[in-house]
Amino acid sequence: MIENDHDNNIVLRIRNLNKAFGDNKVLSDFNLELYKNQNIVVLGKSGSGKSVLIKCIIGLLKPDSGSIEIFNKNSLDLNTEELDKIRAKIGFLFQSNALYDSMTVRDNLEFPLRRHWINYSQDEIQKMVVQALTDVQLAHTIDMMPVELSGGMRKRIALARTLILKPEIILYDEPTTGLDPITGKEIINLMVEIKNKYNTASLIISHDIKCVKYASDNVIILLEGKCYASGKYEELILSKDEKVKQFFE
Amino acid sequence: MKNNFFKDVKLGVFVLSGLLLLIFLLYMIGRNRNMFGSNFNLRARFENVQGLKAGNNIRFSGIDIGTVKGVKIINDTLMEVEMIIDKKVKNVLKKNAIVSITTDGLVGNKIVNITAVKSPSLYAEENDILPSKKSIDTDEMLRTLSKTNNDVAVIANDLKITINKLNTSEGLWTLLSDKSIAKNINNAVAEVNSASTNINIISKNIGTITNDIKNGKGTIGKLISDTLLPKSIDEAVMNIKKAGVNIVKLSSDLNKAVLNIDTMINDGEGTVHALMKDSSIVIKINKSLDNIQEGSKGFSDNMDALKHNFLFRGYFRKLEKSKQKQ
Amino acid sequence: MKNTSSINIFLKEVGDTSGFGWRFLTQWFRPRYEIKEFIKQCYIIGYKSLPLIGLTGFIMGLVLTMQLRPTMVDYGVESQIPAIVGIAIIREIGPVITALIFAGKIGSSIGAELGSMKVTEQIDAMEVSGTNPFKYLVVSRILATTFMLPILVILSDTISLYGAYLGVNIRNVTSFQLFWIQVFDSLSFNDVLPAFIKTYFFGFVVGLIGCYKGYNSNKGTEGVGKSANSAVVVSSVLIFIIDLLAVQITDLLGFN
Repeated sequence: MIENDHDNNIVLRIRNLNKAFGDNKVLSDFNLELYKNQNIVVLGKSGSGKSVLIKCIIGLLKPDSGSIEIFNKNSLDLNTEELDKIRAKIGFLFQSNALYDSMTVRDNLEFPLRRHWINYSQDEIQKMVVQALTDVQLAHTIDMMPVELSGGMRKRIALARTLILKPEIILYDEPTTGLDPITGKEIINLMVEIKNKYNTASLIISHDIKCVKYASDNVIILLEGKCYASGKYEELILSKDEKVKQFFE
Repeated sequence: MKNNFFKDVKLGVFVLSGLLLLIFLLYMIGRNRNMFGSNFNLRARFENVQGLKAGNNIRFSGIDIGTVKGVKIINDTLMEVEMIIDKKVKNVLKKNAIVSITTDGLVGNKIVNITAVKSPSLYAEENDILPSKKSIDTDEMLRTLSKTNNDVAVIANDLKITINKLNTSEGLWTLLSDKSIAKNINNAVAEVNSASTNINIISKNIGTITNDIKNGKGTIGKLISDTLLPKSIDEAVMNIKKAGVNIVKLSSDLNKAVLNIDTMINDGEGTVHALMKDSSIVIKINKSLDNIQEGSKGFSDNMDALKHNFLFRGYFRKLEKSKQKQ
Repeated sequence: MKNTSSINIFLKEVGDTSGFGWRFLTQWFRPRYEIKEFIKQCYIIGYKSLPLIGLTGFIMGLVLTMQLRPTMVDYGVESQIPAIVGIAIIREIGPVITALIFAGKIGSSIGAELGSMKVTEQIDAMEVSGTNPFKYLVVSRILATTFMLPILVILSDTISLYGAYLGVNIRNVTSFQLFWIQVFDSLSFNDVLPAFIKTYFFGFVVGLIGCYKGYNSNKGTEGVGKSANSAVVVSSVLIFIIDLLAVQITDLLGFN
């Protein structure tokens, strides 16, 4: 990366982030930088604090110390309204999809559109919903309830909902967990497609090696709350470090 | 959207019906408390309002016409009751109607009773003070009642003791069931009866004789030589004596019986339960009591007749005198 | 977390619930107002509960009348049945039975709904989507239960009294008009208003406990079931406690 581009292209910078639950230090002095049009995969064991990391970024959890700069603004200093504006530019794909059970697919997709203080007309909303569903090839499910859909479809609907606001950063929380390998592959392909289509930056939390292989530009290995190793997939896979190796076996 | 519209309508109907019911309920209660509609105020003063409270009903000749608005203390012996009265009775209720405080039923709420008086007067107007009547306080009534109750209790207790004594004494029952006493009494009475008949005849005879003497019929010698008369008198006196002996005997029997009863009571003998359970005994007792009553009634009738007969007046007076001496 | 003796757990629970209630009290009047969600919840919580509450109310009125009759006949005050049943239903049975049924139906459903939303990260998703989930989910529901329960109680009271009217007419004949006149005659504002006001608190407690238990549900489906269950248990107990407090307060204020 050229130093000039640096400030224009950097979308997310995390510095010295600390988070502990009681005695359990989940993140300690964690650093990360995410650039436009870059997919970073954070690899880590279960319970190593990967989810905590992205929840701190989106503001669902408050870190104990450190700074999180999103579009050059420290998100920890923002009030609720400003935070909401930042959040509108960030997509978040939840591990459990978090589709609203009581709403139809359409209402699920409309929800972020109606809630983010942005005034869209009814026609615009309709168009955006259909567009987002078409992107994930599920336009026919528009009036169905989430419970009627399969796990893979739900994941894709959740992805559509994440994308509907055209976010500049997408945070994926274990996108392929709980899916069969084929559906998982489909989701990975979608993630790559989205990156190429919308020029987004993505932070992917995963322990799925396929996800790393196909979707990552860069990989960070999170061990004991620290960035243990980072680099491209091709580099890391050749690493002789025992602790790095165990992720790629 | 259509679906949502109907949901909103249903919700609206639901909420409105609830609110309307609440308003209706409050209105009905308010109407019962005369909060709406046209009313006028009247007052009445009492020494004691007997716990009358705001909201108590006011009745005029048995119809609810209003409620008590409040009770004010004027001084230590005078309370003022403010009443809200329905305007409808304004041209019925007169100034001289009498207000009293009573109770609805025996244990009901206090109510104010307005009673019309049948004498001409003007109609009552706003804020008039109507004359009041001290009504019988339930408390006082109950106090009297409780005193009466106490008295009754004492009497009942005495009665109980007496009856217990009677029940426990075998002597009385044997006395009562003894038919010979009744027979004796009957006999005595019969004899007294026949004696008095004889005396009647004698007195008639004497009457004729005296008449004859007055009229100058017959002669004194004839009168003197007649031996029939003294003989009859002798006989009568003897009969009476006999009756007296019988009566003395009867009374001594009775005395004995009572003595027996006394000793029985003192000794604590006798079986009340057996007596009480045995209905045949009870019947017998009843019968013998009836007999005694009958007998004694006849006896006293006869005695009365005897007393009034002039010939025996002296005898009875003597008896009385000797009694007094004793 | 190491001190887990049951008294400490209980006190922590009481403190957390109070804090949750305080958060509601300081939040509900501030924008943003979730009016649409509030109306939707009113529909679900109020209108949809009416058949159940109407049925229980009707049976309650009918049964109460039939149960009271023998004793009333023994005392020779059969004619006072409408007055006694009216007072019993308006003052106590209507509010409490309705609130308990309401707690069973609504408390559990709120607890389960919010619990499953919590477990499947839907609450987080809302927050990420520019929505304050506390206002969107909790405030709207607590307000809905607070305002719907009194209306349900009034409707249930009415249906109960109709049941009582039928109950009177099983063995006896009373005209519809006389029955209602007797009921209204026996009632005063002191009977109706405290009973009405306490239903707001009943509704508030059912909503608050349901939301608290759901909102703080543990991970996993077992946590959801537990939230639903304890929401019903705790709110039912609290209804009785509030009832006790209400009667003492009205007594103190001289409205009894």
